[in-house]
Amino acid sequence: MSATARDHWCDLAVIGSGIAGFAASIFATNRQIATAQVGNTGAIAYTTGYLDLLGSLYADPNPLVNPWQGLAHLRQEEPHHPLSRLPVELIRQAFNEFTTFVTNAGIGYTPPGDENITALTPVGTGKQTLCLPTTMAAGPLALAARRAAVIVDFKGLKGFSGRQVVANLRHCWPELCSARLTFPGMARGEIYPEVMARALEVAGTRRELADQLRQAAAGAGCVGLPAVLGMHHPDRVHQELEELSGLTIFEIPTMPPSVPGIRLREMFEQLFPQRGLTLIPQQKVDRLSFTDDGPLLELADNYGPVTIRAKAVLLATGRFLSGGLVADRNRISESLLQLPVSQPAERAEWYRQQYTDRRGHPIHRAGIEVDDSCRPVDRNGRVVDPRLFAAGVILAHQDWIRGRCGAGIAIATAFRAVAAAEQLLRR
Amino acid sequence: MTDTPTIHFKEQALALLPAGANFDACLTCGLCSSGCPASGIENMDPRKFIRMAMLGMDRELSTTPWVWCCTQCKRCQHVCPMSIDISQLVFLARSNWPRELKPAGIVRSCELIQATDSTSAMGLPPEDFVFVVADVLEEVRSSQPAFAHLQAPMDKKGAHFFVNQNSREPMNEPDEMVPLWKIFDLVGADWTYSSKGWAAENFCMFAGDETAWYEVIKKRVAAVEELGCRVWLNTECGHSYYTMWQAISRFGLEVSFELESLISYYARWIREGLLPVNSDWNRDGIKFTVQDPCMIVRKAYGESIAEDMRFVVRTLVGEENFIDMQPNRSANYCCGGGGGFLQAGMTDHRRTYGKRKFDQIAATGAAYVLTPCHNCHSQMEDIGHHYGGSYGVVHFWSLICLSLGILGENERTYLGPDLLALLA
Repeated sequence: MSATARDHWCDLAVIGSGIAGFAASIFATNRQIATAQVGNTGAIAYTTGYLDLLGSLYADPNPLVNPWQGLAHLRQEEPHHPLSRLPVELIRQAFNEFTTFVTNAGIGYTPPGDENITALTPVGTGKQTLCLPTTMAAGPLALAARRAAVIVDFKGLKGFSGRQVVANLRHCWPELCSARLTFPGMARGEIYPEVMARALEVAGTRRELADQLRQAAAGAGCVGLPAVLGMHHPDRVHQELEELSGLTIFEIPTMPPSVPGIRLREMFEQLFPQRGLTLIPQQKVDRLSFTDDGPLLELADNYGPVTIRAKAVLLATGRFLSGGLVADRNRISESLLQLPVSQPAERAEWYRQQYTDRRGHPIHRAGIEVDDSCRPVDRNGRVVDPRLFAAGVILAHQDWIRGRCGAGIAIATAFRAVAAAEQLLRR
Repeated sequence: MTDTPTIHFKEQALALLPAGANFDACLTCGLCSSGCPASGIENMDPRKFIRMAMLGMDRELSTTPWVWCCTQCKRCQHVCPMSIDISQLVFLARSNWPRELKPAGIVRSCELIQATDSTSAMGLPPEDFVFVVADVLEEVRSSQPAFAHLQAPMDKKGAHFFVNQNSREPMNEPDEMVPLWKIFDLVGADWTYSSKGWAAENFCMFAGDETAWYEVIKKRVAAVEELGCRVWLNTECGHSYYTMWQAISRFGLEVSFELESLISYYARWIREGLLPVNSDWNRDGIKFTVQDPCMIVRKAYGESIAEDMRFVVRTLVGEENFIDMQPNRSANYCCGGGGGFLQAGMTDHRRTYGKRKFDQIAATGAAYVLTPCHNCHSQMEDIGHHYGGSYGVVHFWSLICLSLGILGENERTYLGPDLLALLA
């Protein structure tokens, strides 16, 4: 009596709410596919906000300047890599469509360019990325121009130190220094980027912070801050702070949980239902089965059982953190359908001796096998079910951390999978 | 002085884990703490609580007053990738405190609920409730000619709706009951109050007193069954719904009626044309936002009731005059009025907690917050005054009747000068 069942129908069910899942929902709704999406918090709140396509080729210790040329090398070196199996033009289209959508939805992103941008990490090292939030865009420019700048941190904020950023960059950025401020209204105890970002949605907080920034800049003209410039209107908050302070301001990602990821998640959670997508946030699918009528998803929320009946389903369930893959003592398995997982023959081969081994660890390349339409295949290479697609880092033969290619894989394979699903649905 | 017994939190935490979850998977990422308005109060936060449990710091956890500052709103679980539910541990800790050490205000409210058949946390006995309802009804009938026929049925057997009522109205502001009666009249609802089990509050759950919680619900269930009503209709209150709904499954109660929220019925009656409200009255473009009570949104119905609520608000105030708080729906922050915090006598902590809600409201720039929850209502008013806000807090029923042009002069307690000017 206190559990009420609810049933949803759709054409495409997306399982997962990381970058791949949200990208799939963007592409599907843009194509007027009736879509339902379900997935719990997952790892999106841990993202820097950067959208990497390909930042490193495994054989080369140097940062990759041109990711598009890098894809050609990747194709030769790693033909099974998910990005090697997609036309470059398709990957470009996918990035364009994703960044355009997100920008129009209120979180500005730089469009994909021809070359990677050297962006800043929370500890003041550089990393290669293709697109970044517009609130962060002035940082790499200031770095490239070696412009006099102050990195500001805040009393009580853990995991972000202006001194550390400066210490790591000073050798190449001499006119960089740091300052510590007290965030308006948060003088005591531990403070969190999420809370600061929400507080900066309030005009009074922005005015107080702008005053402090002006003083801290001490004539430098340019200030780097942890990524806390608003949660729902970051570009507006950023712009207003620049106007109020007369400074060029840029954000630097923080340690997780980080604001840029929460921004994306909360934006998607609001926008998709408005666009007619059925979104069931913060829940995991308990069971996925294939009936004669189509894929059937079963789950439960606080209020009781929920079912989703679809015509096609897209797995974007991620790896170990998000639960798409699970590992016991000896084997790695896929959690929803027990799909075959390509993996090292024995546990002893999961990791190499040295944590920092340049070749990476074989376990990171475990994942499910798909065909060129992103349909999971069995051990004999046969399609498991023509109504089943998969996208994102659950796919085998890639090491997204080492390759700096997580968002690239997520966005590009989601694009491919949705296109293939669309073909099936239109048939 | 009585000692607080020590709970073995790790053992309890492991037993309470949902299927498939485990603490090994906790990355200590801090999404729970980062998203919790109680973080930092009493030098505690949800992540610290879990880590201390894993480290066996049972004595500290068994005695930390933080458990009375956590409102058990479950936002930590909502944002946790591993779905770890800290609020259950907090409930356990509350239960474990000796009665005489628990916040007296919460304990007293639970005692009063048990003291009469009303189950009223303000101790209003059945005969007084019956008297107040009759008295107010008589007054309305004689002073408002359009409502000379108004009904407020009491103990009507076989009525479709069994309607509960927060004690604050009959006790302190009885005229605030009238707008709801008018709405029922307008839609032709077959409803009744009950002289027994009518009250819409339950502090026994917040007191961590499971036995008392069960007893209160048993009394309320019996009252509905006695009248043979089909629907127990929870009016504008959050935790009275949750404590009833949750108790039915928790204690394995068999009931022959449905539990529904008035919000869903507002939405349904508007959709069906029975409540012909619109926003024409809002000619000055007064802005409104809405507060999602945790108890009925995140902790119970989820997004569906949040959508119903927004449909009602948009219709009432105009699409362009509605500004959502951020975050919202199931991700909304607890205001800090829940969990018995308002009754706990920890005013400074409660206001510290409420700062985040205040910021959320301030960021909307809205002149009014609508909420179907009495605790949210009181807390948002208090933090508004405390932090120098200029917004008002209104019940749905007030605005519905305002829109319909039937809000009586004595029913305008929560209207600010801008709204009153429209009625002049």
